[in-house]
Amino acid sequence: MQNFTKYLKTKANIAEPEFELLIKKVELRNVEKGELLLRSGEVCRHSFFVENGLLRSYTVDDAGKEHIIQFGSENWIVSDRSSAFFNEPSDLFIDAVEDTKVVLISSDFINEASEISASFRNYNQIALQNHIRHQQKRINLLLSASAELRYMNFIKLYPDLTLRVPQWMIASYLGITPESLSRVRKELAHKNFKPN
Amino acid sequence: MNTKNIEIVVAPREPHYVGDGFRVHNFIPSGFRLDMERMDPFILLDYNSPFYFPPTEKPRGVSVHPHRGFETVTIAYQGKVAHHDSSGNSGVIGEGDVQWMTAASGILHKEYHEEKFSKEGGYFQMAQLWVNLPAKYKMSAPKYQGITNAQINKYELKNNNGFIEVIAGNYKNIEGAASTFSPVNMFNARIEEGGRADFSFPAHYNTAMLVVAGEINVNGTQTVSENHFVLFENKGEDFSLEATKKSVVLILSGAPLNEPIAAQGPFVMNTREEIAQAIKDYNLGKFGYLEE
Repeated sequence: MQNFTKYLKTKANIAEPEFELLIKKVELRNVEKGELLLRSGEVCRHSFFVENGLLRSYTVDDAGKEHIIQFGSENWIVSDRSSAFFNEPSDLFIDAVEDTKVVLISSDFINEASEISASFRNYNQIALQNHIRHQQKRINLLLSASAELRYMNFIKLYPDLTLRVPQWMIASYLGITPESLSRVRKELAHKNFKPN
Repeated sequence: MNTKNIEIVVAPREPHYVGDGFRVHNFIPSGFRLDMERMDPFILLDYNSPFYFPPTEKPRGVSVHPHRGFETVTIAYQGKVAHHDSSGNSGVIGEGDVQWMTAASGILHKEYHEEKFSKEGGYFQMAQLWVNLPAKYKMSAPKYQGITNAQINKYELKNNNGFIEVIAGNYKNIEGAASTFSPVNMFNARIEEGGRADFSFPAHYNTAMLVVAGEINVNGTQTVSENHFVLFENKGEDFSLEATKKSVVLILSGAPLNEPIAAQGPFVMNTREEIAQAIKDYNLGKFGYLEE
């Protein structure tokens, strides 16, 4: 759990005795590509820290179309908050886009870590603010931005995902059609490609 | 005679699919002791051992993807594969042909089973190698060499015991068909049962072979079966092969570049910064555009 250890020790600055206590309370799980971690309508008490690999959360509409809410690659946390923190059935599906190692984090873990470590409490607070900031930005982009601007923000946030996920998933995340995504990429190539 | 001995024989790993058209055993870099540094300048070897693909209307293959910093070499043994790239090059290679694509500063390409082959179905057998480029050529212009079997010079073994196809490099003064950016030898040795061939490469060259078909005895000491890969020691220069069954052997020997390797997905550069730049350039369309 190299990345998760780094998350607790370096980023959240948790001291060794507390770390030893907390690391026992999480569980590492291997998830195969395509395997579901959460199905809409279920309650899931865990959040998923991505040790390595790639997860996505998404909804499926009445016509069966998938809408991707979030991708989570290494060091991201993917969860359904209503399920993990409010014990309600989830609206989301979460599955693995690649073979993935996840650390299962329960809400109790977050509470306990916050109780025993002030630095974790602070870090978690900042991470939450950051998460909300991202969500606000994403809502704004989905409501008002052009397909190109949405794509430009995507490659800044997730630089290597264009190499790891199929085009239709990126289009789904951006709320545009795969054809629009192709058009955006084609226009960028026309603008930026200089043969040598 | 200063004999070059076997360092290790590597069995094929469980196959995996690249796209839906290439069912490959990876040897380099995931094989035991076959990492990029050890095999330099050969940084990847995927081998599609003979596999029957049933007929299909929609050709199987790999959709548009980028490369930067190296060359991809596809050697066809059975079946046909079609290639298109963002430099405007395209071609079909079939049995005995070789496609040598220099991605260098950046290219987008797609590789599919050829249309007629897809419709009829059939046995498919290919090797794909990635050959690293020296740092000073990594950002040079992309290039494409479609090499038909007829264009590949052949050295006849004595007593009608087969021949050596010189894809790149030099074998007993027969020049290879492909041009390379660093010293690389790549041969297909097609040897009849009981036939012999000998090879000589500088000791420091990284030298290996893949038994594509048949069964081969190396230096009269060890017999290597089909689909197995042999890495030679970096000691000695000369080794000999005797085909205990009619055989095809892919022979590889190259001068190591001895430069730092930073690799991520389809990009192989010298530093992490160059990898980050490659990803950025690809995302911004600087590799050009190719329709799916």
